[in-house]
Amino acid sequence: MRFCEWLEHTALITAITNSLVMATIVEVLHYFSLFLLVGPILIVDLRLMGLAARRRNAAELAGELFPLMWTGMALNFLTGFLLFAGDATTFYGNHVFHFKLAVILVAVIFSVVVQRNARRWGQLPAVPIQGRLLAFVSLALWIGSILAAVEVPSLTSVG
Amino acid sequence: MNSLLLHFCEWLQNTPWALAISGSTWAYPYVQLIHFTGLSLWVGTSVAVDLRLLGVGRKRAVAGPSTEAAALSDALFVWNWFGLLIAVTGGFMLFATAASTFIVNPAFRLKVGVLLPLALIVHIVIQRKARAWDQAAERPLVARIAGLGEILFWLAIATAAASIPYFEHT
Repeated sequence: MRFCEWLEHTALITAITNSLVMATIVEVLHYFSLFLLVGPILIVDLRLMGLAARRRNAAELAGELFPLMWTGMALNFLTGFLLFAGDATTFYGNHVFHFKLAVILVAVIFSVVVQRNARRWGQLPAVPIQGRLLAFVSLALWIGSILAAVEVPSLTSVG
Repeated sequence: MNSLLLHFCEWLQNTPWALAISGSTWAYPYVQLIHFTGLSLWVGTSVAVDLRLLGVGRKRAVAGPSTEAAALSDALFVWNWFGLLIAVTGGFMLFATAASTFIVNPAFRLKVGVLLPLALIVHIVIQRKARAWDQAAERPLVARIAGLGEILFWLAIATAAASIPYFEHT
């Protein structure tokens, strides 16, 4: 908790909090990078479920989209941390925010599993049922993470 | 302000379903979810093609599937536009909850009235020209401008959206 207090008052964080321009830039990049993170992984999951881009090989599509997804995730986590830091003491005790981070953590784990298996599944004549199931769970988790994120301001008036 | 438009907005925000959303304690986040999920699909797939046009992430200078923008655009086409449909559906529902305040908000008007149509024009140009641009010996300058332009437009649209609360009048 004391770390959170310290964090809120660091030079960089107070500069962002006190500047509407900088705060808006961080917020906009957080949303934009969210789209770059979730969009590609939804497409890969949909492809593995046989619902998108069927003419494209699943492994190939995953290879093309995962770099964008990980870059989006890095930027999203960085901006997310800056947004958290601006109000760290409040977010620290916020249970809905904790839940959001937990859903994201599980979603990332499933995405790693999906990525690791995509090549093998793409080489088979059809994606096996466990692959489709994993893809569906990944998709549900990422949509769930967006829902958890919008519930933070809705349920707790923070952020 | 066009009084017909304003009357339409007042009618819209008083329809049973709009009132149900704005009056509900739980519905609003789900409408936001629809808007952001749709945007993830639309912006994610659009930017993936834009980065191709810009030659980002290209490992080899040789043309091939990893450098083709048109092939990726074609593969993603259905979910790209379906994503926009979902985003607009969610966006319209968000708009409807307070239509008459959004319609006079300069940030909202810039976002939906100016930036969004321009961004869609750039997007359609990209989808139509991608094949010709792929077939050129070297990526044409206009292709790179279009790719970067679309990314900048969507950053601007997101900025306008984030600025809406700061332009609310009473």
